[in-house]
Amino acid sequence: MLLQLNNIFKWVNSGGQRIFLLKDINLNVEEGQFISIMGPSGSGKSTLLNVIGMLDAFDEGEYHFLDESVHSLKEKRRATLYKEYIGFVFQSYHLLDELTVKENLEMPLLYKKFKGSERKAMVADMLDRFNIVGKKDLFPTQLSGGQQQLVGVARALISSPKLILADEPTGNLNSKQGEEIMELFKQLNDEGVTIIQVTHSEKNAEYGSRIINLLDGRMI
Amino acid sequence: MFKLFLKIATRFLFKNKMYSFINVAGLAIGVASFILIMLYVNYERSYDTFIGSENVHRVFMDYLEGGKYVPGDANAYILSGPSLKEKFPEINDFVRFRRRHGMVLIHNNLAFDENIGALTDPSFFSIFDRSLSKGNPQTALSEPYSIVLTSSLAKKIFADANPIGETIKIVGDADSIFTITGVLADDNQKTHLKNDFLVSFETFYTWKIFQNDWKYTWNQNEYFTYLQVDESTNVDLLNQKVMAFTPEGLKNERHHLEPIEDIHLYSHKPYEAETNGNGDNIKLLSIIAFITLFLSWMNYMNLSSSKSLERAKEIGIRKVAGAKKSQLTLQFLFESALLNFVAILLALLVVYLLLPSFNRLVGQNLGFDSAQLKTLLPYLGIMLLGASLAALYPAFVLSRFSPVKVLKGKLQTSKNGLHFRRALIITQFVATIALLICTFMANKQIRFLKNRPIGADLNQVVALKGQVLNRASDSLFYPKFETLLDELRKSPYVDEVTAAGTYPGDAYANMNSNLGLTFPDGRIDDKHIWYNYGAYPKYFDLMGMEFAAGKAFSQTAQKWSRNVVINERMAHFMGVSDFEGIIGKTINFWEEDWTVSGVIKDYNHFGLKARVEPLIIRHGRNSSNVLVKLDKKATTMAGVNKALYDLERTWYKVFPLSTYNYTFLDQKFEAFFNEDQKFAKAFQIFTILAILIASLGLFGLTSYTCIQRKKEIGVRKVNGATITQILQLLNQDFIKWVGLAFVVAIPISWFAMHKWLEGFAYKTTISWWVFVLAGISALIIALISVSWQSFRAAIANPVEVLRDE
Repeated sequence: MLLQLNNIFKWVNSGGQRIFLLKDINLNVEEGQFISIMGPSGSGKSTLLNVIGMLDAFDEGEYHFLDESVHSLKEKRRATLYKEYIGFVFQSYHLLDELTVKENLEMPLLYKKFKGSERKAMVADMLDRFNIVGKKDLFPTQLSGGQQQLVGVARALISSPKLILADEPTGNLNSKQGEEIMELFKQLNDEGVTIIQVTHSEKNAEYGSRIINLLDGRMI
Repeated sequence: MFKLFLKIATRFLFKNKMYSFINVAGLAIGVASFILIMLYVNYERSYDTFIGSENVHRVFMDYLEGGKYVPGDANAYILSGPSLKEKFPEINDFVRFRRRHGMVLIHNNLAFDENIGALTDPSFFSIFDRSLSKGNPQTALSEPYSIVLTSSLAKKIFADANPIGETIKIVGDADSIFTITGVLADDNQKTHLKNDFLVSFETFYTWKIFQNDWKYTWNQNEYFTYLQVDESTNVDLLNQKVMAFTPEGLKNERHHLEPIEDIHLYSHKPYEAETNGNGDNIKLLSIIAFITLFLSWMNYMNLSSSKSLERAKEIGIRKVAGAKKSQLTLQFLFESALLNFVAILLALLVVYLLLPSFNRLVGQNLGFDSAQLKTLLPYLGIMLLGASLAALYPAFVLSRFSPVKVLKGKLQTSKNGLHFRRALIITQFVATIALLICTFMANKQIRFLKNRPIGADLNQVVALKGQVLNRASDSLFYPKFETLLDELRKSPYVDEVTAAGTYPGDAYANMNSNLGLTFPDGRIDDKHIWYNYGAYPKYFDLMGMEFAAGKAFSQTAQKWSRNVVINERMAHFMGVSDFEGIIGKTINFWEEDWTVSGVIKDYNHFGLKARVEPLIIRHGRNSSNVLVKLDKKATTMAGVNKALYDLERTWYKVFPLSTYNYTFLDQKFEAFFNEDQKFAKAFQIFTILAILIASLGLFGLTSYTCIQRKKEIGVRKVNGATITQILQLLNQDFIKWVGLAFVVAIPISWFAMHKWLEGFAYKTTISWWVFVLAGISALIIALISVSWQSFRAAIANPVEVLRDE
């Protein structure tokens, strides 16, 4: 078991009322799964993804990740945990505009105490694997959306995480580019990487092995 | 429309209290310091400005020294004025002042002492543009034994009664009666030549106290002389001609003109009427004034443009709703105007509240009245221009945002904007670091001066001074004076008593300057100025002066002799390096032979800004200053008070009819660096203010960068950056900028301090640690200012920023 969510609640207080963002979420994710989270706008998809990614806290419930109880972990330990095991892919790629493709890929490694030579090797490896060696010195703005997302995925993968969390990874892409990214995810999943993606598209959801539907913070 | 603007602006300012506060405070600090400094600067600059002052020039004497002319004396000769007027048609008129300090006036048996009086030509009123509140300026100074009082002196003596026609006695060798012919309209103290009363110059030729001077023409210069030249005169040309002009009887000297308006700040000649201000300090202060003002504007631009990012949405919505760019610009301009207006009001309030303490600090009496404020009017233009430029920038930045991008949450901030702001911050820090260095240096120099041995021990030495009202001839007076010294010596609080013409720190008072000296080897020098005064034998011992060779003159029955003590500088001047060898040798001046009995080590007579001059101290009776070294019993406040009481009692016992004053020598000596100390203090305060403003600016820029780099910070955090790493990322830039600013500030401040130190004869070294200290201080200040914001940015949850909506 990679991770387990038990009775997760998350809410905000607004105007004296408690508004639930997540309501009683129970979810088990095994290693190697490819899960798609679907639901209308505001149903809590991204929130759930962020909770799983340990970027967002929750108010009630238990979260176990690789036998660690995330809900009782200290901030620091939690950070080390997601740093080591989780990679993020965003709808708007979130590449750093001031850095080249190569530097963008290298960036997460800087925070993980890899040696310079190691970093270089890992970046080269990744550039190779995604066929973007020729673009390594370009800045994100010089790339098409699909290429940018490719770099985004590559960056998420560079420190070999067990789990990739993708928040509408194809949302900003045209259908052809989107397909390519989804094919890439499929391929990665086949190689053993666990993937959880949020998506609006039925077609993209089909790539996954399991679909979770959310409505008003609840799994249906 | 404007009502709406006002509503929005006030709401915005109230909603963002922190922002408004920092912004208004920064501006107000800048404007307030600017006003304060400029009040001070203008006050100092306005000395001797009156209608026609641009045509008034002082005549001073250059001495030929070692083949070159040097400014020798602020005074000219009694014939200088008349001769120059006669020779040069450009000169409309002249006025001479022959001044006497410590004059005692007696009216109705009441004595009024410590007055400065001057024999003055009647042209005074027209040249100096002065009028009389009572009396007729045409005739007031025409007749001998006419006297014109300042209004404050008239009030002191006559209260509110009309003094015109009253008589008054001036104490002197033979008391003389004067008729009051005028009262000056206002006591304009903004002049370097402050007199309490004026006596018609005609009086000179019959007034007994000047009888020794009647014979002098071109050999005694004690006359402050001012020329009024014709408006059309080329003064440089006239000056050339005046310098070339040698009246018969004038040797090794020449006349020289200087504008009267420049005297207070730029003239530091021997025998000035008073210790003048320091023009360099005033210049430096003006520079600081402008720097603080600029810093606060930069701040304003910085803060408002960074705040503008948070208002992007508002602007987007307005634009979509149809607002034109110009309308938005106008709205933000209006906001800026409001903010600036509030800041200026606040600044005026701050100035009003701070002025009394500022006055105390700098020892001025600056008023906050319309007349003073009027002097600031020329700067109002600068202030308005600066404020509107500062306001325009954010207004343009704000109105430029593209609505679609803004509403989509894609805040595009221009790189140029950031560079611009970066440049602002670096400039601010250059100024801050330079000011810090200068403050440290100024304090170091003053400490250095204070701790520097002056070659005499002034501690616990009191100078007693007074005028004996019924003073008879010397032969009757001096025995009584000796009695006074003996009586004072008997006091239990007194260690030793002596008397001398002057003392260290008394500057040029009672000091004779001379040209012409025959050395022991027979060489005659008539090209270099040297100084002399008379003293009793115990003077050297009491003042703690050390002998390099020989000893003090020995006591003689008649209390004076033809023995002298010289200083080392004088010995070198005479070409003597073996001090022992000169003891007992004869020198000649004043057409008399004098025997050198000792050589004292150099001491600083004229303060520490001036070099040690060649000096001869004669063995002579001199009642100008009774010097009393207090006993150890008089070290406590109470002891000192008892001692002072005892001294005064003894004085009046011997001279019941006299005036009496006392001065502590160490305090008087310290007064030499009052001016610089004040300057250092003012500098310090404005440095702190400038730092405050710069910190506010940095605070503003940090919030700007943090907003701007929000996404980057989020992405980095999601990719594993820790808070420390984010802090490093954010702060390293600032550290780099401070470093850059430091490098730029070093030569600037080095140069400024080098210049400033040139004004001192004794300078401290410009040490490297001063620079390092300033750099480190600036770094710490910078880190403190940025850390709060960057810490907040670093701990923020990245989810907030990275959410894709």
